Amino acid sequence: MSTDSNASRREFLIRSISLCGAAALSNPRVMTLASGPASPPPLPEMAIARAGASGEVTSSVASRLTESAIAGLGGMQRFVSRGDVVWIKPNIGWNRKPELAANTHPDVVSTLVRLCMDAGAKSVKVGDYTCNDARQSYENSGIGPAAKAAGARVVFLEKDRFKKMAIGGERLKSHPVYPEIVECDLVVNVPVCKHHSATTVTLCMKNYMGVVEKRRIFHQDLSTTIADITRFMKPRLCVLDATRILTAHGPTGGNIEDVKVLNTVAAGTDIVALDAFGCELLGHKAAEISTVARGAEYGLGRVDYRSLMLRELQLP
Amino acid sequence: MSLKRRRSPVTMLRRLTQVAAVALFVGLLLFAGPASAERPSAWLGLFFYTDPLILFVTMLAAREILPLFLPSLAVLVVTVVLGRVYCGWLCPFGAVHAIVGWIADRSYPRKKPDVWSRWQLAKYVVLFSLMCAAVFGVSWLMPLDPNVIFYRTTATALWPAAQGASESAVALIHESDPRLAEWRLTALTEPIHDAVREHVIGKPHQSFLGGGIIGAVFILAVTLNVWRRRFWCRYICPLGGLLGLFAWRPWLRRAVADGACSECRICGITCHGAATDSGGRGWRPQECLGCLNCLETCPNGSVGVRLSWLGRPADRDRSIDLRRRHLLGAGLAGVAGATVLRLSPQARGAAFSPDLIRPPGAREERDFLARCTGCALCMKICPTGALQPTLAEAGIEGIWTPRLVPRLGYCDYECNRCGQACPTRAIQPLSLEEKKEVRIGLAMIDRSRCIPFALDRECLVCEEHCPVPDKAIFLKSVAVQMRDESMQTLRQPHVDPVQCIGCGICENVCPFRDTPAIRVTSAGETRHPDNQPMLA
Repeated sequence: MSTDSNASRREFLIRSISLCGAAALSNPRVMTLASGPASPPPLPEMAIARAGASGEVTSSVASRLTESAIAGLGGMQRFVSRGDVVWIKPNIGWNRKPELAANTHPDVVSTLVRLCMDAGAKSVKVGDYTCNDARQSYENSGIGPAAKAAGARVVFLEKDRFKKMAIGGERLKSHPVYPEIVECDLVVNVPVCKHHSATTVTLCMKNYMGVVEKRRIFHQDLSTTIADITRFMKPRLCVLDATRILTAHGPTGGNIEDVKVLNTVAAGTDIVALDAFGCELLGHKAAEISTVARGAEYGLGRVDYRSLMLRELQLP
Repeated sequence: MSLKRRRSPVTMLRRLTQVAAVALFVGLLLFAGPASAERPSAWLGLFFYTDPLILFVTMLAAREILPLFLPSLAVLVVTVVLGRVYCGWLCPFGAVHAIVGWIADRSYPRKKPDVWSRWQLAKYVVLFSLMCAAVFGVSWLMPLDPNVIFYRTTATALWPAAQGASESAVALIHESDPRLAEWRLTALTEPIHDAVREHVIGKPHQSFLGGGIIGAVFILAVTLNVWRRRFWCRYICPLGGLLGLFAWRPWLRRAVADGACSECRICGITCHGAATDSGGRGWRPQECLGCLNCLETCPNGSVGVRLSWLGRPADRDRSIDLRRRHLLGAGLAGVAGATVLRLSPQARGAAFSPDLIRPPGAREERDFLARCTGCALCMKICPTGALQPTLAEAGIEGIWTPRLVPRLGYCDYECNRCGQACPTRAIQPLSLEEKKEVRIGLAMIDRSRCIPFALDRECLVCEEHCPVPDKAIFLKSVAVQMRDESMQTLRQPHVDPVQCIGCGICENVCPFRDTPAIRVTSAGETRHPDNQPMLA
């Protein structure tokens, strides 16, 4: 359980009671176990929602794609229990407009905020450790205003609040991580699918670079450090925003010609599988991408996403 | 000697006005803090636009009348009618001196009245020197204009100190998390911190190079009040001198009832401007700040003000004794000063300082210095904290003018706020599209430090951050023999001199924090055709 600094005693009591109740009732696995001795129906590990690529990403399409992908996994109740504190971790790295595909689409983020709130989350926080100035990136990416409007708390990460934590990785033994993120009940990892000069692609695993400090030294061995930090973060739910993707000059982009509209959102519990899917969207063989390969080596997931319990949804 | 003061509503009103002026000044400064997508408000420069000294000096130095500064003529009109009430009632820096003087009065009450001293003519000498230097294109307002001094000091020293103290306190409380039963102190401090961070703070943990020196100069100017009240305003301030010239025969004058003055000299003790001789005689309108303390302190109640349309001085009144030789000396000093400031090769355009990276849209150096007042509004408004006050990089002539220091910040590709905000247009207001085409410097890779060149490892952080849509940093794959004699392919960064705009983010993010392995210098800056190393 998280320790939320703003909790009053009353809230604390209500939350404790409702948490027990929610744990017993709202978790589908618990439900099925309680209802009978029959083995629970297996839940999908990945869901891909697609809509016709019309040349632009409308707000309603981005929103419906996100809803379908999450619904395809069994709904947000599968991940969020009543009273949870959720951190949504988009890619807000750059001070760029949404259409340039350098950051996660704001409507994908705001929809996830809404779904978490509807599933009973006590509070939903949205934040990233940006590369450009945080305030401008939050605003220009559209994510700050959209998340706020959806009811999230938009959090600016404070440089002096990172805490050295034991990572136990191959490269990273201990490293400064943002405690407020780690302490949340659930971290929803929601990157945009794009090209990256150093790692060829930047997808779910690399998105965890936004929860750590001192990351510029990672570049000397990106695939190992990214795998280290991914294992540390224990991903439970990742949502890959491919409403529009950046095909070249990443991670910053800036040319609208480098952006391709796909109107696709994938969600899943297997981070390596989602990244493998993202590689395909960007026209690469997943096995040849070192971060994905290293993730599979670490046992963080499977490269062959088609071998998973997969649901593909086509929106009209 | 204890002063019996009747609290008069008019001096209370004056104090209130002065406090309001300081509050508005600081409020506007803090309002410049958080960067937003909107254009910076034109109100940010309010106190500059009402400063006629900047209007005149820039007019002489840059040979251009700045339309935004025309409201300052209203201040001159007010001065002609009411005398130097700007100094006594409205000037925020003057108000700071008045407040410090007020505190000093309470700590060390004065025994003797401050009477007119010929040294008060110094400010007119400063004014004429400044104006004469301006004729030769040197605008040295940075250490001399009160609004500039106060703005720069608040922006680069006082506010960063206050912000730092607040940030440290919040961090300490967050870290130690003190609580009383169920109640936590962070429940109070965190929401306040969030609000301050969202609405007031420009850049977290912001600091400025040489902020200590700027703060020390300010503290010195303010501390001189303990020796002589309103020292700066009486002896140095060229804006006060300018207004004094316009207060030669104000319509509103001090009046002493005939035969009622007992020459007790008490009025002189509280006089802000030291405008009279001993015994309350010899009132000089040019030196009177209109504080109206004399009305309050006169034990006989014999001091008043009268409106005299013809401006005829009373018998007891005097004028300042500004002689031709003062002006001649001042003029020579100004010309000599301008000449000396221009002696360096750099000031003559024969050499270019690599560290003098000016903000995008900055004019050619001569023209830039003719306009830049060193007010630090651009430094305050820069969202990355890249713009820093110079110390010696632009010579003494250009002290405290803005330069970009990539190690501390970078020019954000999607930002043009400094040019939009610059009051004197020393940095031209460019549209975002125009600004993206302006080159302020050029990045160069130091292969003796760059990791893929010197240390045989991958890196590419600079390339990753390069904001130019087609990337001004590109990679070459090179087969490198490693220590164990195995071969490995490494990607090494290279700068495309045509694409690079010198924004400095590459230097800012280089893993080497002491001496970055990629560094930006002013080479290739658009504003200087002579500083172009590359064939276009």
